[in-house]
Amino acid sequence: MSNTPQMPRELSDRVLCGIFIMPTLGVLLLMVAYPFISLLYYSSLSFSVLRPLVPARDMGLLNYELLLTDPDLWQRFIFTGKFVFLTVTVQFILGITVAYYLQRDFRARDFIFTLFMLPMMLCPIVVGFLWRYMFNSEWGIVNVIIAAFGGTKLDWLGVADNAIIAVVIADAWMWTPFVILLATAAFRGIPKNLHEAASIDGVSAAYRFFRITLPLSMPILLIALLLRLIDAFKQYDLFFALTGGGPGAETMTVSFEVGKIAFKYFYTGQASALAVILLIIIVGLSMVFVRYLNNVGKEQ
Amino acid sequence: MILKRNSPFLIPAIVLGIYMIYSLGPIFWLVLSSLKSRQDLFTLPPKLFFTPDLSGYEAVFGIGAAKDSAAAIGLVQSLYNSIIVSIAGTALATILGTLAGYACSRFRFVGRDDFMFFALSTRMIPPTAVLVFYHVMFAKMGLSDTVSGLIIVTTFINLGLATWIMKGFFDGVPTAVESIAKVNGYSRFYAFRKFVLPMVRGGIAATAGFCFIFAWNEFAFSSILSTTKAKTLPVRLSSAMGSTGIEWTQICAAGVVLIVPVAIFFYLIRRHILMGMTFGVLGKAGH
Repeated sequence: MSNTPQMPRELSDRVLCGIFIMPTLGVLLLMVAYPFISLLYYSSLSFSVLRPLVPARDMGLLNYELLLTDPDLWQRFIFTGKFVFLTVTVQFILGITVAYYLQRDFRARDFIFTLFMLPMMLCPIVVGFLWRYMFNSEWGIVNVIIAAFGGTKLDWLGVADNAIIAVVIADAWMWTPFVILLATAAFRGIPKNLHEAASIDGVSAAYRFFRITLPLSMPILLIALLLRLIDAFKQYDLFFALTGGGPGAETMTVSFEVGKIAFKYFYTGQASALAVILLIIIVGLSMVFVRYLNNVGKEQ
Repeated sequence: MILKRNSPFLIPAIVLGIYMIYSLGPIFWLVLSSLKSRQDLFTLPPKLFFTPDLSGYEAVFGIGAAKDSAAAIGLVQSLYNSIIVSIAGTALATILGTLAGYACSRFRFVGRDDFMFFALSTRMIPPTAVLVFYHVMFAKMGLSDTVSGLIIVTTFINLGLATWIMKGFFDGVPTAVESIAKVNGYSRFYAFRKFVLPMVRGGIAATAGFCFIFAWNEFAFSSILSTTKAKTLPVRLSSAMGSTGIEWTQICAAGVVLIVPVAIFFYLIRRHILMGMTFGVLGKAGH
């Protein structure tokens, strides 16, 4: 088109960029955008994937109405909220404490740090079964230890109040390492001379921690918080293996409920409506996260 | 380290010691249990010393006494599926992610930030939500219960992560590399292939390591999209609950088999863990 000599090279840059981006964009469109739009459409229908020959009925917004007026579903949201709050709190208290004590140099520190990271890399299904195995009320190691210290054995997975504690213990076991990881990174980023100056001034360790270390670690700890919130909110595998949503439906999360409606009852239309609600919540949280990431990225 | 009363090491040692028991005790217990015979597994008080029994592992690998048992055959097939799906899914996600990561690092194109957000969303969406649709789509396309279907899904779950981490690694390579190549008359693609790629070799390896771990551990998608033939090991594990109760020996052994490759890969990429777990936003300098 143009006779300028630079033109072909510029064009080839653009073509290269397109070739590099296209496959990934294609997969994302097929696996995220297309499903989202389809789910919006499905959510207005009453149909089941099990009966492809039965014509779908148009329900308008009835699926949403049915869901949002269902007290059971609100129960799921409340449980999910409780679980997210408890597990993230435990992870942060434990994670920050451990990271704090790991600041000091001692022999084998890096080795111990690496070992501490291991649980979060393990298969969540294995983690779920492992804790289910350890929480067994008759011969599980947790109760054996409790009994050895003179306590009474608990029915961990059979009683609702115990079951939520059990899931939190297991989930925090798996994800506290993530908080240790990010808190350690944050603590290391604080200029050493700040601490030195403060300790020369005779400021107590606790004061230094709450007035210097924590505030300066906030940007990274907030990243950790947002990621932990999102991950805890969508936790599925662990519940599947550890409690199966039981006892009854007491430890059923929203994300578990979608699975149940869709793959146990096969109410595909209604499951789509709940999936849409779930996706909107996650997209909202993710947008906060990304906006925040961009700000942190610019500061660094 | 000598601990005295009032030693400044006392409280840290106690805190870290307790956390270590919480953190590593269960893994130790899993490994120990996987070596126990059925009888030893349920004796009270639990035995710390016992004659090792490999029947759980025999079932997982389909050897020895468990060679022909139906349960063992299912486990071997699922182990094989897991290996194929994880390796193929990792390779695809790493290749596509490397290309997309390079484009995001070097080219300013319209909608780049939106694209990055889009890629990030793969890591955020609850599996069950999109599964409602995948289930319908896979049935229509004949991909249900096929290994190739699982490879597509596995690629997808890691693609966003691979794109983000690789962008981080490419950001660490000075753009001068391409400028100099250009001055010397090399094409952009040649510069990418011959100069830039070798510089991020470690990054590609780390990306592949993370993708492999997440692919290997993946459960939610595989559990819905595979019913019999294509079951991966985590899915097979979850259905090991027969009418006679849970086969704990097999579960523990399969659990160990599932975590050993993860532990190895994790050890190899331990320096990049901060980067891998935060989409390459933190920990860019390799540590």
